[in-house]
Amino acid sequence: MSKNLVNLNVNPCKMCMPMGTANAFYGIQKCMNILHGSQGCSTYIRRHMATHYNEPVDIASSSLTEEGTVYGGEKNLIIGLENLIKLYQPEVIGVSTTCLAETIGEDIEYIIKNFYASHPDETVKIIPVKSAGYGGTQFEGFTKALRAIVAHVDMDQTKHDKINIITTMISPADTRYLIDLLDQFGLEYILLPDLSENLDGVHQSSYYRLPMHGTPISEVQKMAGARATIEISDTIKPDESPGVYLYENYGVPYKRLNLPMGLRDTDALIDLLAELSKKTIPEKIAKERGRYLDGMVDSHKYNALGRIAIFGEPDFVVSAVRLCCENGVMPVIAATGSNCPQLKEKIAAELSKLADVLFVDNYVILNDVDFETIEAEALRLGANLMLGNSDGRRIEEKHGIPLIRCAFPIHDRIGGQRVRTLGYEGSQILLDQITNTILKAVEGGFRETLYNTYYNEGPKSKYGLEPETDSPMKVLENPKSTTNTTIMTIEEKTANHPCYSCGSAQKNARMHLPIAPQCNIQCNYCVRKFDCPNESRPGVTTDILSPEAAFEKYKLVKEKVPNLTVVGIAGPGDALANFEETRKTLALIHEDDPNVTFCVSTNGLMLPYYAKELAKLGVSHVTVTVNAVDPAIGAKIYKHVDFMGNRYHGEAGASILLANQLSGIRLLIDEGVIVKINTVTLMGINDTHIEEVVKTVKALGCFISNVMPLIPVKGSAFEGLQIATNHEINAIRDKCGVHLKQMYHCKQCRADAIGKLDSDISLDFRENEAKTAEMVLAAPKGLRFAITSKGGMLVDQHFGQAAELYIYDYLDDEVQFKEKRVISKYCTGAEECDEKEDKIGTILKALTDCDGAITMRIGDLPTKRLESKGIKVFSTYDRIEDAVKTAAQEILKSELSTAGNF
Amino acid sequence: MKNDAAILPERAKSIRFSECSGDGSGIKCESESVSGAVSQRACVYCGARVVLNPITDAFHIVHGPIGCASYTWDIRGSLSSDEEGYRNSYSTDLRETDVIFGGEKKLVAAVDEVVAMHAPKVIFIYATCIVGVIGDDIDAVCRNAEAKYGIRVIAVKSPGFSGTKKTGYKMACNAIMNLITPEFLPAKTAGVNILGDFNLAGEMWIIKNYLRRIGVEVVANITGDAKVEDLKQAPAAQLNLVQCAGSMTYLAKQMEEVFDIPFIKVSFFGVTDTSDSLMRIAYAVGDKEVIKRAKAFIEEEKNRVTPLLNKYRKNLEGKKAAIYVGGGFKAISLIRQFHEFGMNTVMVGTQTGSKDDYEVIQHLVDEDAVILDDANPAELEAFMKEMGADILVGGVKERPLAYKLGVAFCDHNHERKHPLAGYEGTLNFASEINLSMNSPVWETISQGGMKDV
Repeated sequence: MSKNLVNLNVNPCKMCMPMGTANAFYGIQKCMNILHGSQGCSTYIRRHMATHYNEPVDIASSSLTEEGTVYGGEKNLIIGLENLIKLYQPEVIGVSTTCLAETIGEDIEYIIKNFYASHPDETVKIIPVKSAGYGGTQFEGFTKALRAIVAHVDMDQTKHDKINIITTMISPADTRYLIDLLDQFGLEYILLPDLSENLDGVHQSSYYRLPMHGTPISEVQKMAGARATIEISDTIKPDESPGVYLYENYGVPYKRLNLPMGLRDTDALIDLLAELSKKTIPEKIAKERGRYLDGMVDSHKYNALGRIAIFGEPDFVVSAVRLCCENGVMPVIAATGSNCPQLKEKIAAELSKLADVLFVDNYVILNDVDFETIEAEALRLGANLMLGNSDGRRIEEKHGIPLIRCAFPIHDRIGGQRVRTLGYEGSQILLDQITNTILKAVEGGFRETLYNTYYNEGPKSKYGLEPETDSPMKVLENPKSTTNTTIMTIEEKTANHPCYSCGSAQKNARMHLPIAPQCNIQCNYCVRKFDCPNESRPGVTTDILSPEAAFEKYKLVKEKVPNLTVVGIAGPGDALANFEETRKTLALIHEDDPNVTFCVSTNGLMLPYYAKELAKLGVSHVTVTVNAVDPAIGAKIYKHVDFMGNRYHGEAGASILLANQLSGIRLLIDEGVIVKINTVTLMGINDTHIEEVVKTVKALGCFISNVMPLIPVKGSAFEGLQIATNHEINAIRDKCGVHLKQMYHCKQCRADAIGKLDSDISLDFRENEAKTAEMVLAAPKGLRFAITSKGGMLVDQHFGQAAELYIYDYLDDEVQFKEKRVISKYCTGAEECDEKEDKIGTILKALTDCDGAITMRIGDLPTKRLESKGIKVFSTYDRIEDAVKTAAQEILKSELSTAGNF
Repeated sequence: MKNDAAILPERAKSIRFSECSGDGSGIKCESESVSGAVSQRACVYCGARVVLNPITDAFHIVHGPIGCASYTWDIRGSLSSDEEGYRNSYSTDLRETDVIFGGEKKLVAAVDEVVAMHAPKVIFIYATCIVGVIGDDIDAVCRNAEAKYGIRVIAVKSPGFSGTKKTGYKMACNAIMNLITPEFLPAKTAGVNILGDFNLAGEMWIIKNYLRRIGVEVVANITGDAKVEDLKQAPAAQLNLVQCAGSMTYLAKQMEEVFDIPFIKVSFFGVTDTSDSLMRIAYAVGDKEVIKRAKAFIEEEKNRVTPLLNKYRKNLEGKKAAIYVGGGFKAISLIRQFHEFGMNTVMVGTQTGSKDDYEVIQHLVDEDAVILDDANPAELEAFMKEMGADILVGGVKERPLAYKLGVAFCDHNHERKHPLAGYEGTLNFASEINLSMNSPVWETISQGGMKDV
């Protein structure tokens, strides 16, 4: 369970018991599985298995209904068994219960007895498993089914030389490996279950819907006479273990092993097989072992960089942890969604030993856990790769931690049935995947990292500056830079910037480009639907522009507004929460005119990450909104802060924001960028704190401070907050002016503002979208038709059955939908409408203004009544629009010919 | 009948063969699945979750054992333009002791925790199979939570055994009505609501782009990329557009009755349906400027896609299609699209189609086409083989079966990663049909790859 939310499982790291039983029964020859419960359970399980194995998966359901739930489901299950036998002719049927069946107390053993009693000739072997979804996970369900199989099959205790091999859930490809291994030792064996063929079939000309392969029941019967059992799973409880059952009931000695992943656990199996077969280890296997050893050495230095999160079924986690530890890949998380208390003792020593060598302080072993906890721990512990099933994909997607998919289920990649992890070779395949994932990150990033860390000669322009182009070649010479434009200095740019220099506000124009729709914090004075009120005052921005469209708009405006000196990105969200768009736009414009002053507004949350890049892009001015430098005050202003995929509330969020703002501002100032600080005055919250804000940012080296009044936004948390008067604002500004230059002329522009500060001309540049105010209905001239239709797409209803009429007009060769008329509204009296005979009368009332009626079928009498009123009748089956056209043409033609007769 | 072995007597009435060539009233549908028949249907809970899940800022707590939440966690491709919270799966994860002593307390605590952590506006609580049986009163839990927190906490009673997936749609529609019904009806605006598009692969965005282009404002998306606050504006719309009729007609009818919003049915699958629907919307809105813009837009789009579609047409013409999908609306749209490509639909079935749907289907396909309701793998196998289908359009479970039979496949389901709606969607659809049906693998396989082993 989740650590934080003890009553909630958030993003389950487990499935239910019937999922396990379904997989196990698929390893029995000519066996079908039926779930006693409602229909959905079997469908969900089939869907999950089908996408993992890429095979058709057929599982029946007794399809319990309301009645069955109340009075017992015996009838449903018996009919289900009968139908399943008719359709598939199986030799074995596994009956698994579900949550519902167990909760209503179904006695399936009794129902099955009744089934045999009423079907005396039936030879199918029926095996019941009690598998309530809440009784455990798919891991326990799998073994429970195996134990039920050995417990219900009639055993033949005659001694023989075979050994039993019982496995936990492994892939068909790994099963084939196991079979091959046993063959190499010349051992006779009974493998339970055998998924190798049924869930990884060959393509052939005939398809058999009944699984034809797997362990034959006749072989299972002999398991009681085997000379030994090897159970490949060491975490199943003894009272659920099939191996223990065979020992306790038939005295078959058993040995339980870990999944043979990694050197030590594979050695254990190989040694045991050698002992049982009394053979030396075949050379082929010895060589595989040697190659794995060689591979371990080859990759050990890369592997040491790995901080891996491993999750899944207990057996898998134990062996995967051991494989990683022996290779020096540090598991920082070992987690199972099942309840397996012994997990800790099995791996604690391994983990501690490696952690000491690599100086890893923190790692966790998590039992009965959900993905929310795994996600939080992965971030806390700095996991850089994950190993498990595809349910880790959300973490991969959100946080960019690569996931190696090697356990059930795998939904978003192909080849789940062919995953190899067992034996020396399987271990090598898995280890290579782990190493290569680490190498991909190293090889892909080291040049840039080292350049950015150490190169200090001249501007750093190598990475990140160029907008992505399709051309794989780098253009060495930028033709535009050869023109004779002189590049303005930052001082000149500031002097020409209307927001920074009071005088230039009168003569210089700026435009704000609305390209950044997303925001990563929620301010209590803001409603996300509108623009961000901090820098750029609301009004809904007309449109969010793509970088290309923004560039076009810039060019258009520049043509018409020659004094355009400043281009700003001011939302409507946060420029840095949409960094790709911001970067692309700036790069396009910068290339066109390096003299344009760029101005970016941000809340500062992502500043530490992008400050250097902004400077590289030619951004000379950045406005950061800092409303508080005390997290306790910040907590009142910010509802939440979304950072690195997590949402932080209260002081936690405010602290993250503040720390990032301050370090980001410092970075900007180091790069020579002019920084302006905006502060929204929130009476009773930060009004007495603003001076402190200004002092703090002054110490960082900011250029100017802009204290603004709150503009109340309807629907925001601060909607009702008292607004500071001009007088109060100016008093604050005066106080702050002692520390830092104040901006007295801010107009709080819209995000798409264009022009000088006091004249927004952006309307002229918006797409002409003005909608005509008049909402006139199309004039009912021309021809009018009533259509009977069920869906409103086709003429597909009988006239007499219509409950509503679709009215269409035909005018100027055009078919126009007019309205839908509900016939019952045309009733004049209850008796009239209740009588079927009078229904036609009512329909007639509803279409008195029509020239024609188009219907799928209509009786003679109504046809006559319609025609007597001058309404033409058309019977057809067609798309409505086409039918109206045809009917209209017919009417027009007949009118023409009638006219001709006169 | 050639396929005796594949058809259970109880199922015969749900299948129409050429020999029967019934009059439409013959197909048995909208009934419970036959026990042991291996139906492809999911359950009531699934239906409810499908409809409500795309609401991006709602929280969904599945009250029950873990399976139901585990199997529905983020498996559908509904996209969000903002919040991602709906992609998480919350479950009370009931255990043995909860089943004995009741799960109500755990649910109350779960709601408390979700409220404390996420400050949600709306929580939907799904009651799955065993909740009613163990006697948890989730209505009371919802009532108390609403009083305690002043937010909406809405019960969605969807035990799997209480009907079919369609029952679940109804439960979801009731939950939506419950959420959006205001105390006083708002003044009408010029905008419309879109019902029954779930923004799979961004299809809601495509439709909204179209409407923006023709000058029709959208009030609420129900429920693709929806937000609670936007949904609450829905009563102010002047018109409802119903896309997925199977799930949403019920809601549209309620909205017509309670909010006096008329509805029209639309379809954005295929060039003709998309164009007709846009014109129908324009006329229904009645604004001359909108009608003018719609005409121009359709003209432009048709000119753009027709030559591209013609390119595909020569590869598709004359081939045989089989369809097995969830609802009748989609099946009908698909038959028409295949027709536009010059392809013939030889087998068509749905999980939850209505009698009306089947009557329409019967008119659209050839006399000898097979029509199935709530089919199972055995029937699908038998009829795809018998009718010689070249491609199957279906759900995830059907895909491997088609492949085993050497039949191409089109993923027209909730997991699709490319849009199939609108003009660009039609191009994607044609492209997918072509690339699967005409893939070189079929040639390789039929020319000697397949050997029985």
